[in-house]
Amino acid sequence: MEIATYKNDVWGREVLLGVSWELLWLVIVVPFVFIALHAIFQASRRKKEKPSSGGERVRRHDGVDRLFHWVMAASVFVLLITGVFPIIGINFSWLTIHWVAGIVLTLAVVFHIVRSLFWQDLKSMWIAPSDLRELSDTTRKPGKYSLAQKGMHATVAILTLMVIISGLILFAMIDTPWWDRSNALTEATLGMMFFLHGVATLALIALICLHIYFGLRPEKLFYTRSMISGWISRDELAANHDPKRWAPDKSV
Amino acid sequence: MSNYKHIGKDFVPPDITGKVTGKARYAEDFRADGMVFARLYTSPMAHGRVTNIDTSALDGMEGIVGILTADDVPAVEAPNAAILTNTPVYIGDPILAVAAEDEKTAEDALARIRVHIEPMPFTVDPLDSLIEGGPNAREEGNVFSRSSEGSGFRTVKWTPQQIADFRAGKEPTGEWVNEWRYGDLEKGFADAAVVVEEPFVTTGYAHMSMEPRTAMAYWDNGRCYVYGSAQSQSFWIPGLARLLGVEQKDVVLISEHTGGGFGSKIGAYPIAALPGWFSKKIGRPVQLRITREQEYYIGSARVGFQGWIKMGFAASGKITAADIFIVEDIGPNATGGDASSAGGAVSLVYDPESLRFRGLPVLTNTTPRGAQRGPGQNQIAAVMAPLMDKAARQLDIDRLEIRKINAVNNDSTVYENQEPVTSAYMKEALDKGAEMFDWATKRNKPKTNGSKVIGIGIGQGYHSAGTKGFDGLLRITPDGKIHLHSGVGNLGTYSYASTTRAAAEVLKCDWEDCVIERGSTDANLPWSSYQAGSVSIFAHTRTNYVAALDAVQKMKQIAAESLGGNASDYDIDGKNVFNVKNPRQSISYGGAAARAIQLGGSYSGAVYPDDIHEITKRSVERLAGSGLIGVAKDNLEQNGVIPGLACAFVEIELDLETGKYDILDYVGIAECGTVVHPQGVEAQMKGGAVWGMGMASLERHVYDPHNGLPANVGYYQCGIPTYLDTPLHIRTAAVDLPDPQNPFGARGIGEPAMGCSVAAVTSAISDALDGHVFGRTPISRDMIINHVAEREQSFKPLQTNNF
Amino acid sequence: MASYDVMPDVQLYQPAEMDDALELADRFGRDGWILGGGQDTYGWLKDRAKHPKAMIDLNGIEALRGVRKSDDGIEIGAVTTLREIIRNETVNAEYELLALAAGRVASPQIRNVGTLGGNLSQDARCWYYRRGLACYRAGGNICYADSPQGMNREHAVFGASRCVAVSPSDTAIAMVALDATMVVQSVDGERLVPAERFFVGPATHITKMTSMRPGEILTAVRIPSTWAGARFYFEKVADRDVWDFALVSIAAAMQVDNGTIGDSRIVCGGVACTPHRLRDAEKALAGKSLSDETAEFVAPLASRGAKPLNYNHFKLPLLENLLRRAVRG
Repeated sequence: MEIATYKNDVWGREVLLGVSWELLWLVIVVPFVFIALHAIFQASRRKKEKPSSGGERVRRHDGVDRLFHWVMAASVFVLLITGVFPIIGINFSWLTIHWVAGIVLTLAVVFHIVRSLFWQDLKSMWIAPSDLRELSDTTRKPGKYSLAQKGMHATVAILTLMVIISGLILFAMIDTPWWDRSNALTEATLGMMFFLHGVATLALIALICLHIYFGLRPEKLFYTRSMISGWISRDELAANHDPKRWAPDKSV
Repeated sequence: MSNYKHIGKDFVPPDITGKVTGKARYAEDFRADGMVFARLYTSPMAHGRVTNIDTSALDGMEGIVGILTADDVPAVEAPNAAILTNTPVYIGDPILAVAAEDEKTAEDALARIRVHIEPMPFTVDPLDSLIEGGPNAREEGNVFSRSSEGSGFRTVKWTPQQIADFRAGKEPTGEWVNEWRYGDLEKGFADAAVVVEEPFVTTGYAHMSMEPRTAMAYWDNGRCYVYGSAQSQSFWIPGLARLLGVEQKDVVLISEHTGGGFGSKIGAYPIAALPGWFSKKIGRPVQLRITREQEYYIGSARVGFQGWIKMGFAASGKITAADIFIVEDIGPNATGGDASSAGGAVSLVYDPESLRFRGLPVLTNTTPRGAQRGPGQNQIAAVMAPLMDKAARQLDIDRLEIRKINAVNNDSTVYENQEPVTSAYMKEALDKGAEMFDWATKRNKPKTNGSKVIGIGIGQGYHSAGTKGFDGLLRITPDGKIHLHSGVGNLGTYSYASTTRAAAEVLKCDWEDCVIERGSTDANLPWSSYQAGSVSIFAHTRTNYVAALDAVQKMKQIAAESLGGNASDYDIDGKNVFNVKNPRQSISYGGAAARAIQLGGSYSGAVYPDDIHEITKRSVERLAGSGLIGVAKDNLEQNGVIPGLACAFVEIELDLETGKYDILDYVGIAECGTVVHPQGVEAQMKGGAVWGMGMASLERHVYDPHNGLPANVGYYQCGIPTYLDTPLHIRTAAVDLPDPQNPFGARGIGEPAMGCSVAAVTSAISDALDGHVFGRTPISRDMIINHVAEREQSFKPLQTNNF
Repeated sequence: MASYDVMPDVQLYQPAEMDDALELADRFGRDGWILGGGQDTYGWLKDRAKHPKAMIDLNGIEALRGVRKSDDGIEIGAVTTLREIIRNETVNAEYELLALAAGRVASPQIRNVGTLGGNLSQDARCWYYRRGLACYRAGGNICYADSPQGMNREHAVFGASRCVAVSPSDTAIAMVALDATMVVQSVDGERLVPAERFFVGPATHITKMTSMRPGEILTAVRIPSTWAGARFYFEKVADRDVWDFALVSIAAAMQVDNGTIGDSRIVCGGVACTPHRLRDAEKALAGKSLSDETAEFVAPLASRGAKPLNYNHFKLPLLENLLRRAVRG
């Protein structure tokens, strides 16, 4: 299977056209196979007792961060629907919605970067070498974010930046209310931007599938709740986190 | 007015039947045993360097016979066009050819070839190259000047301010390379009561030959047989021999019919030699039929102008000074020279008291340029007509009158050296046209009817229309047939036939007794002029005349020798040579021919004049002994410029709301001396009229400046006028006054027939729009709509090769 | 750069029955090419810019030919030639707008063989696209026409979305003005598509001109009697009188009672990728009289919202002028 598609440029030279969208089924099927296997595996294991969601609550996510998450989630969904549906044959007027959602995502991400740099504990999401011990030592509990969560975040961050940067460059290549398209890019570079945009999109689709799956798993559902309501219970904290590494002081 | 038997009479040219029935053979109709089909791979880039050609995908492909690349053909010196090249300078520049057992296989092969080309800077608008920092069309420079003092590349750049001023319609202050002048220009302007000054653009456009150039070639006994698409016949031989790298005697050109050349097939063009080289390489006959698309790349185009003109008029209407500056788009191969010809045309048609011409030929990476009907003369005709109108309005002189005041006449002196003309009757032509058109009534008719406006215009066309010094050759055989050997190409004007009628006229013979020998070098043809520049009628009525005189003299000598007396005692009656005093003492033409064979020497062609061309000599040598040979070089007296002139009157109805106009009336008047072939002149006047209408409002090159792509690669996109775009009736007539320097008084008419048309239409459009001067051809619908709506035009001033 | 003009290998099917044609269309899907008069077919194939495996020639199917009266109007078979339409008595008597439009298609020679279905389904004429370049419309990722230096005199001023090509069909605007319905068949059955929805723009379908799907065949066009005998106006402005596409064209159907305009449908060609309805003008015309005053009143509405490109702003005054001409007394 090809990863990229090619076309002839205006002078007949072969250049990248973009990602091969035949990969779309791969990035959907592979995560679902993984999910199925994972679900079977988890179901076959003895279930740990679920920590109680009652009792004292501690804050895991501030309101503004939750808002950011869901704004980002919504924009990403809109972007995926407007970007991918026409490719699979569901046609509608998608371009304007796509770039508007892209601007929303970009603004949200810029906000998040600024906030995480100056107002948040950047280290809590930083993957430190010591975190790697979580891989071998299953009894070791993480701080605020597990290695898996950090890994997911880092990957999503890179892919999102890739999709945003390539998207903004492509945005310059269409007519908008503020500017007319330019000819600044060669067709080869334009093809590369489409390729990066597409590759990042495909990878994001796979990751989002996994993200949703884990967000909905019974033992992780409290994280999703915390992304909605902001809190987790002391029990959930104790069961899943090392208080030495993450000690939320604020109770709600 | 004349008592000619053939001159001035219509006749049926012998190739007509074949054209009507489809039996006429064009280059692509010929086949040879073992012939293969070649297809061209051309440059996708406007300028580049081939770094790799990968034909490995053709290895083992069934039906592929060979590949020809630039390495297989002679290299040529820039800026001349090569047969194949590794440094393409325009989109469509031929890079390689593939030969296969059939055309489809050859096309399949092209799709598999990978050619890597490194792009180089390019330009599709001379002003974009001329501005400081602008790209040069060729590495060697952006200007190429051809002159008798020496030709060469230059790099000429103007400052952005100079370009901006030029675009703004001011007198150009940038460097130029060509200049000539006569008279006192400064005084001329000082004396002027009215001065008009305008910038102008005439966009180049394709020649549009209906037959895409095809050639088939094979070698036999060291001779190369080329079946080509040629405007000229004998004239092709030296060039074709040069391209094939052989002596002239080793080239045979077969060109029986040509589907239009219009200036693009005057001499042997490089691609015509490709099959010869390919055949030499693979040892089989090769036919190269290029596609219609490729015809638009290779088939050449009219030179474009971006210029400025200033003219001074005395209160009387007489032009006192004309100052012309032209930036000329000469394509990538520096083919042109139109600009200086335009200056010459102004000097001749309007006979100004003083004139300065300045020109700057700029290279572009567009289709190579070639002479196209009235190269230079017709562009400037279109520019001049509305300016003459503008001056007439300012001087309050009738528009017809101002043209008559400045009309070239027998006393005019023209061009840089103020040479005389052989004869010129422009005023008579204008009078005749005005009468037929009813100018006096039409100029006073109401102009407006709802959104429609009437416009009337007058155009004048000119091209020098004659040359001299070529050879005539005929042969009378014992069967009494007169074989008229015509080295004139069959480009569709029938001049190959009509010029031979000069010989029939001298011989007083019936046309039925004549056989035209033509279409192949092996038909033993004389050295003839190019079939271009409107020269054939003048040049070859003269060659046929001198050859016929020679034959008549020889027949008289034979009669005297056989029947007694002196040659001067004898005359001819079309069948026999007879003693004037005793008409019963006679010998038939056939008898004289039989006797000529017996006598040998100059009678039979065993001996021939020294001054004839080597091509004629070879023909005579091969004909020697087969009849009575009449052969001579045209050494008749000739001095001064031989003008072909025409004028046209047009009435249009222009719809201000749609920018569309209909031509309600068209009158074209030919001033070509004595009319030799009335139907021929009429066809020229009508064809020229249609062509001029196309140039005036439809035809133009369009190039995307970002990537150099041409938009015009098919008939549809080129916008040639169709039958239903042109008036049903185009009225034509001729002045028909003889020129003293042709034995029959004839001059050519081909090119002026178009110049007068484009000029009349631009004049009429200007008239319909209250004298507005667009200063551009074509004047397209959008330009008229924008003008009427008082909107800016879409293009930059002086921009060219655009919509 | 290769250049082609020899017909490539392609299978030719000449079904005599509709069912066979539908079966073939279904079998070949995207690789099938529905052939009517062939006037927008052979060029594509000979240029090797399109590569169908099979041509399905509909000309042998009698049922697809001719103009038939129906309960509510007329039905015209898709392979009815334009010449037949121009000469049809019913069309001329009641739906003259269509005859006028068909009469301005291409050239007499092309009208003799060109079919209604083909004219309605024809592809964009953008010169970059026709060159065979991999632009958006050809499945690529760029528009060469709508670039800072693009040569786009003939392109869209409305409704462009990345691609700026225009609808080239003369009969399309007449069909929208007449509120026709397209009969589209496939092996799955029949689909009726209003003309206005039949033509699609680049925002939704950048590689297609119509809402036809692979395997479908346009079999007929039904024109309702709603507009029969209405006041019609058709005008096409092109560079040439024949063998040319509209720079701007207009097809107007107006219900006029005593000189007063009621309902109207006014549709323009050459200005958008689909037939472009002048809805604002239609609304504004209701209740107005046919007159110069009305013409002046509504004309500016024609170009409202237009976004001209580098070389086509002349289409705005032209559009206004054509609307003026349509509603003058």
